[in-house]
Amino acid sequence: MRTLVRLNYAAPFGLLSEKGKAILKAIGLSLRILGIIAAFFAPVASWAADKAVYYWVSHGSPTDPVWTYFLQGAEQWAKDTGNDVRTSFHSGDVPSQQEAIRAAISAKARGIVTSTPDPGSLTKVIADAHAAGIPVIIMNTEDKTSGRDAYVGGDNVAIGQRWAQYLVDHNFVKKGDFVWMPVEVPGATYQVLETQGIDTVFKPLGVTYEITEAKLDQAEIITRMSNYLTANRGKIKAIIGLGDLVTGSIKRVFDQVKVKPGEIPVVGWGNSIDTAQEVLDGYVNAAMWQDPQATSYLALSMAAMAASGIPAGFDVSVGTLYEKDKAANYLKIMQGSGQK
Amino acid sequence: MGAPISLLQRLVARPEFGPFVLLVAGMVAFTIRSPTFLSLGNISNFLAFTPELGMIALGMTLLMISGEFDLSVGSVFGFAPIVMWTLYNAQIASLEIGFLIAIAIAVVIGFANGWLVTRLKIPSFLVTLGMLLVVRGTALYITSGFPQRTWAANSLLTTILVGEFSVGRLRIHTSLLWFILFAVILGYVLTQTKAGNWIQASGGNPEAARARGVHVARTKVLLFILTAVMSAYAGITSSIRVSAANPNSGTQYELEVIAMVVIGGTALSGGRGTIIGTVIGVLILRMMQNGIIMIGVPGLAYNIFIGAIILIMMALHSWLERRHRAGT
Repeated sequence: MRTLVRLNYAAPFGLLSEKGKAILKAIGLSLRILGIIAAFFAPVASWAADKAVYYWVSHGSPTDPVWTYFLQGAEQWAKDTGNDVRTSFHSGDVPSQQEAIRAAISAKARGIVTSTPDPGSLTKVIADAHAAGIPVIIMNTEDKTSGRDAYVGGDNVAIGQRWAQYLVDHNFVKKGDFVWMPVEVPGATYQVLETQGIDTVFKPLGVTYEITEAKLDQAEIITRMSNYLTANRGKIKAIIGLGDLVTGSIKRVFDQVKVKPGEIPVVGWGNSIDTAQEVLDGYVNAAMWQDPQATSYLALSMAAMAASGIPAGFDVSVGTLYEKDKAANYLKIMQGSGQK
Repeated sequence: MGAPISLLQRLVARPEFGPFVLLVAGMVAFTIRSPTFLSLGNISNFLAFTPELGMIALGMTLLMISGEFDLSVGSVFGFAPIVMWTLYNAQIASLEIGFLIAIAIAVVIGFANGWLVTRLKIPSFLVTLGMLLVVRGTALYITSGFPQRTWAANSLLTTILVGEFSVGRLRIHTSLLWFILFAVILGYVLTQTKAGNWIQASGGNPEAARARGVHVARTKVLLFILTAVMSAYAGITSSIRVSAANPNSGTQYELEVIAMVVIGGTALSGGRGTIIGTVIGVLILRMMQNGIIMIGVPGLAYNIFIGAIILIMMALHSWLERRHRAGT
């Protein structure tokens, strides 16, 4: 067979020089590469052609545990409804996320569910989606001015306010105290909004704070947080973990720096198994559960509803601040999800 | 018969032939899997982000041909728009003046990189890694981590840099035209001018180049400046187009850009490379990233596909090139 193919290339050019034959062989080789790739993709060419396609586009990082719960919700919805949900993570990279949403528009998606990387950054693409008749539901991080059809998720300003108020109400901080607020990525929308909420409580009371960058890598988070805590242990009166990774690292940081559970009050996000366990063990006083699976599930349901012509003229608010007495319930939910 | 064969001979002999075959193969594969891949809407989408990374890749190509590379391009991409929008939002400067100041700062960053590499003989890997952290840290510090407002400006500059127009149903940004113009100019400089010879000589054999009177250090410093300016320009363009100026913008773009340049046939060791190859490399990687979203690769598997595609492309490229050199 191989000889036959070679004869096909060379036969009409029997009088060619060796270099000419080599060129033809190179072209033949290129055609074979094209053929192999095309053959590889061909059997799946009509894959999912008969299913309604929804796009689930996250500004989060696939290494952030909370986003795996969000993803589970989307996958569960796809399984339950029989629709095709195409998912992607963009780790805060706005151009790449906009490109993904525009790809969804080109692919004639039935609905798009996404989260906001920066305020104002999705306004244009949402207008494009609407022009193509595609509803867009924002989840997790809100942008009211984006023109989205609806929002499903927590109100990050209110959540920041609740954390700060919790510390004040329980007499953990008072005028002139200093609060440490580690976050994975400074500048991310969730941090900006949470800090706005915290400001509304702390600023009038004269409580000061510092936001520090912890990064997204678990080992680096622990190192950076341990270093900061070692250097500033004396002045830190409370900690607010502005993200799930940092709050879920409190036990490891406290153990490393030899801080006893409860010695420094901590509030923050509670969407990870680590944090729920920390609440049970007394390292974290109160943590915010965001209902991540439910958020994705409801957002996709609303997108489907809007695509069917029923207007999604309302938002869905989620989020519960849990303490030690309820932590076991959330731990059970997350462990159950993790076992799937 | 002689003329067509001669044309074919020249075409196949080009170093960009391998990447070009891979580009066509990828387009065929994605179109088979997702017919909307080649729709006008998706081509418009594909061409929106491509010039931004492409501009950085053009600068990086010349720098890598001269035997150096720059890891700080992603942080300059994020930092320059922060400078421009901060000055504008604080009403310290107009958008145009802010733009010029941001570009001037990029010149300083590029000069610092080049000076440290050529005068103090520190490897560019270490110098630009340090610069990456300095620039990214500065962006975070001056903004306290907050993104800058970008959507309030109504300036001729934004239209010139990244205005939109339509050709039929194809939506084009002016950034694509700037990218093409820069590619033509830099391609001409590299292949048709004495400066181009100097760039290739600086990377191919710097000692011999010096002996022949080439100003190797000066050439490299200028290329570091060019790369930083292209990164700043691309970052500003991007911030206007996507309506976002976040201090974390451009994170890890340096690796993506280096991959584009290498896939396009530029040698990591310097001395060899072409602008056309880089343009094809840019198109290949952007096509892959667009295509795998179009066909619905699961979100958590995204990096597996991108990494595997880069490895496969490099292997195929190397194989095609070896066969080409061996004349088989």
